[in-house]
Amino acid sequence: MSNKDVTCKDVMSHICDNLGEDLDSPRCVEIKEHLANCDSCKKYMKSVETTIDFYKNYNVDLGEAGHDRLLSFLGIKED
Amino acid sequence: MNEEELIREAQVGNRKALAELVKNYEQTVFNFAFKICRNKERAEHTMQETFLSMVKNISQFSGKSKLSTWLYTVVSNHCLMLARSNKKYGYTSLDDDDALIDEKNVADWDVTPDRVTENNELKDMLDDAIQKLPHDYRIVFLLRDVEGLSTEETGKVMNLSIPAVKSRLHRARAFLRNEINASFNYE
Repeated sequence: MSNKDVTCKDVMSHICDNLGEDLDSPRCVEIKEHLANCDSCKKYMKSVETTIDFYKNYNVDLGEAGHDRLLSFLGIKED
Repeated sequence: MNEEELIREAQVGNRKALAELVKNYEQTVFNFAFKICRNKERAEHTMQETFLSMVKNISQFSGKSKLSTWLYTVVSNHCLMLARSNKKYGYTSLDDDDALIDEKNVADWDVTPDRVTENNELKDMLDDAIQKLPHDYRIVFLLRDVEGLSTEETGKVMNLSIPAVKSRLHRARAFLRNEINASFNYE
């Protein structure tokens, strides 16, 4: 299959499916070649990665009070 | 004591070992529950129910899977059960792959992911986007991409085949990316 057969839509779909996974198959080699030369796909990939990082970085802290309430609820609070 | 020893001690009634196990996982469980339900009170309730289930069933824990995987499973099942009993939310249909990927709307995102820690507007945007996702898609995305479980582990937790996990993950990523793209007024 020539590189011309890979469209941006294919790449975006494939990126979504395989982000963070091994990309050594012949199809993925083509995808990587396309990606290296396509600004649009690079931007898309970056935006998907940023989306994941947003949710990774958005954390909440249980805190001491939450910890105490949990141990009391379970009946195993240390005295 | 390492985790295996703590589990063995907890299984024979050692309350200190049980408390230690709870302490080791409470933040992970609370955070994961919050990321599913986007509400601190509901996350705390889910966390409490999850550890109650652990305390009641620790004697039956065989060690075949990791304790963390078992806890993720309990949280996921609890949240799915709550979602099924509360059908007031109309989730977005993600059946149309073509509609999810729009090659014309590709903007250069001029944001850094660490901005989320101090930006409440961005947090609201992320909450709104993920709450439109059906729970099974939401949990697959969170387990695989955010918590870092493998595709296989995610399938086990959700009782889904590997192709089903990949399909949900692909659609969830594309959907969330599109929602955030729209919120940034990039389309």
